[in-house]
Amino acid sequence: MTSKADWQIVPVDIDPDTEERLFFSEHEWDTIEAAGARIIPTDHDPGAREARVIVFIDRYLSGIDFHYAAADGSGFLQMAGKDARAARARNRDMRRLYRDGVQELDRLSVEQCGQAFKEAGEEVQDHVLEQLSGERKPTKVSLTSREVFYSRLQGNTDDGMPFFQTLCMHVRQGFYCDPVYGGNKDRMGWRVIGFPGPESLRDTMDGTYTTAPHFVDDYTWEDLIGFTAPEPE
Amino acid sequence: MSDKRKPDPVDVIIVGLGAGGGPAAKVLSEAGYSVVGFDKGPWLRPAEHYSGDELKFQNRSYLWPDRDLMPRTVRRDENEEAQIFNFSPVPSNVGGGTSHMAGWMPRPRECDFTMRSLHGDLDGANLADWPIRYEHLEPYLTKVEWSYGISGLTGAEVGAAPRSKAYPSGPLPPTRFGKKFYEGAQKLGIDAFPLPMSHLTEGNALGRPAVNRTSFWNQYGDPTQTRSSTATTYIPDALATGNFKVRAESFVSEVKVDKRGKATGVVYVGPDGVEVEQDARVVILSLGSIESSRLLLLSTSALFPDGLANSSGVVGRNATFHEYIFAVGLFDRQVDEPLNGWTGNYQSGGSMHFYETDESRGHIGGGIIATTQIGQPINMIMPGRPLWGQAMKDADRDYFNHSMKIGFILQDMPQETNRVDLDPNVKDAWGLPVARITNKPHPNDTAMSKWQIDKNIEILEAAGAKRTMPVYLGDRFTGNACHQHGTVRMGTDPEKSALNEWGQAHDVDNLFVLDGASFPTAMGVNPTLTIMANSWRCADYIANTYLKGRSERLVLPKLERA
Repeated sequence: MTSKADWQIVPVDIDPDTEERLFFSEHEWDTIEAAGARIIPTDHDPGAREARVIVFIDRYLSGIDFHYAAADGSGFLQMAGKDARAARARNRDMRRLYRDGVQELDRLSVEQCGQAFKEAGEEVQDHVLEQLSGERKPTKVSLTSREVFYSRLQGNTDDGMPFFQTLCMHVRQGFYCDPVYGGNKDRMGWRVIGFPGPESLRDTMDGTYTTAPHFVDDYTWEDLIGFTAPEPE
Repeated sequence: MSDKRKPDPVDVIIVGLGAGGGPAAKVLSEAGYSVVGFDKGPWLRPAEHYSGDELKFQNRSYLWPDRDLMPRTVRRDENEEAQIFNFSPVPSNVGGGTSHMAGWMPRPRECDFTMRSLHGDLDGANLADWPIRYEHLEPYLTKVEWSYGISGLTGAEVGAAPRSKAYPSGPLPPTRFGKKFYEGAQKLGIDAFPLPMSHLTEGNALGRPAVNRTSFWNQYGDPTQTRSSTATTYIPDALATGNFKVRAESFVSEVKVDKRGKATGVVYVGPDGVEVEQDARVVILSLGSIESSRLLLLSTSALFPDGLANSSGVVGRNATFHEYIFAVGLFDRQVDEPLNGWTGNYQSGGSMHFYETDESRGHIGGGIIATTQIGQPINMIMPGRPLWGQAMKDADRDYFNHSMKIGFILQDMPQETNRVDLDPNVKDAWGLPVARITNKPHPNDTAMSKWQIDKNIEILEAAGAKRTMPVYLGDRFTGNACHQHGTVRMGTDPEKSALNEWGQAHDVDNLFVLDGASFPTAMGVNPTLTIMANSWRCADYIANTYLKGRSERLVLPKLERA
């Protein structure tokens, strides 16, 4: 069906532990996985590698079959019509961006240490990412610095960005997305930052998943607003 | 290709089934008129299509317009080449903006209707009084609160305009960051209260279940009926009459007129790509301020060479967009209690303390502030968050539960040069020129941004934030509030406005525009409640006066200059 309201659900799920590649070559897979591990590194908590961000990105680039999970997580929506055509065209551009991006990572890495990016040490890898981003590696956010910012559009699509910014966005998405998309394995990304998150998307549809325990429960409006709201007539 | 099967004429056509079209569909079909409602987007089924999937709703635009199919272009002024940008992305589907909105539903105040009388000429701005006053809207605000479903703590808004009835649902409970906000506000003597929301709480007088406590709200569709949407309230009400038909995925490309200049109906492209004409006695546009003005500008004819209802030349002009700006406070994970900034019903306490003009602040007007979610993990809002590496991971871990923000709905001043027109180069998926937005801030907007965000920072500091980050209005609007108004303004003078006090075109008496486009000034509150109440008021007029062959004028009370 071409209507968005009637897109069929294809009952597939993504195994985060899979080694089956749908888009990347083996070399590309390893390279993007290595870059992801520098973008969200592993420390005392898991990072992009353990969360299987690579599976998430590979499935996303593979076409439009994993673009939208079904609302209840029972599979993926089979896009059709105009939306599908637009998404497919963007997917083609995105694949190109990644293919070229991997080559660029290797080129910069070979220049520095004579080895492909995936074989380089972490310091060289970080330096390659610095070169690609055009900026120094970010430093820890401090509670004492002061900076001024200006407004921007909320909601982050991945349209029209350079490769490095796109990769950073996708790694973040793969670390924190609902696990149905193949990343955030066992909800480990959520655990790292203390987000409970639902057990399944279905649980967000009927009240099963609730954040009520994280609200304040011992309050009176008098205390909060500082006076007693007059009784309605 | 034209379809030979021309559908039967109807009494009323409504184009756009969001906040403006929903109430009109209900009122007119309940009054016994035959009504057809068009929406260019799909008719999704909330219980089947919506859930708490951050990637899908926030990053992959499941509800927001596809930027390749429905692009817009933006430029700062006419010397700039307009760029494609997803400006003011409001869902294009049955339900429109009410399908994704966070749900703030504050009432306007009396000052919102008389900005011109209160402030006279403001250099570079085009202030105007509304041709109605708060008192004309009040009964309809109440009707909407009780039929659409809005929660609030009656009597808690200090300085509120009079109201005739309490809220039908108690207020939403506070979050931990909400409590901090109230503490900070109280320390500074700022009146704060739980802002009215279109989310209900259990035990509401409407008998509606309110089970959704997922905290997935802003930009998400609600699979339950906890948050009101026209798709789950007014559209079903209208369908229940048997007088209303929805034509989803039907793109209206033109409003047709006859030789006498009366609207005869619309031309639309149905889901099968076939062009069809639908005739009607009355045409109502409620596509949102950008698209309503675009459709008028697209509807040219020998009688209306500059676009329909545009003899005044104001169509598209005086556009206002309410930039959403804010300040973020970081707390210290080592010593401070968690704030859980991802919880709640998007906003968790606000204030209208700074709503009305106080010229000592250095600007006129004001707006509403509220403490709002920092969002879910992928898109957590933290200005200047490191892009990658250990610093990013640390920032997420340290501040996801230890930061909060206080936002501000900036009431931008109407300017003739801030406008919507037709882009000469870019076309949409239906082959028609897209809306081009030309838009730069008025000095009053910039002054208001600076003053209020600095005030929000004071509140954060009083609440115990260890570091604060201002996010001001920059050198252009981004449309990030998804609020749109002003492009087809109402007024009493046909030379300076396109619509009269009933949203009725001065030039075409059976054409009405019932969305934010009619607002002469932006107000300081979120527009949805006012759009709905005004649509109901005007639809009442269409049903009970206009379609009965009569006309009436509103008499405005004499204003005493303060």
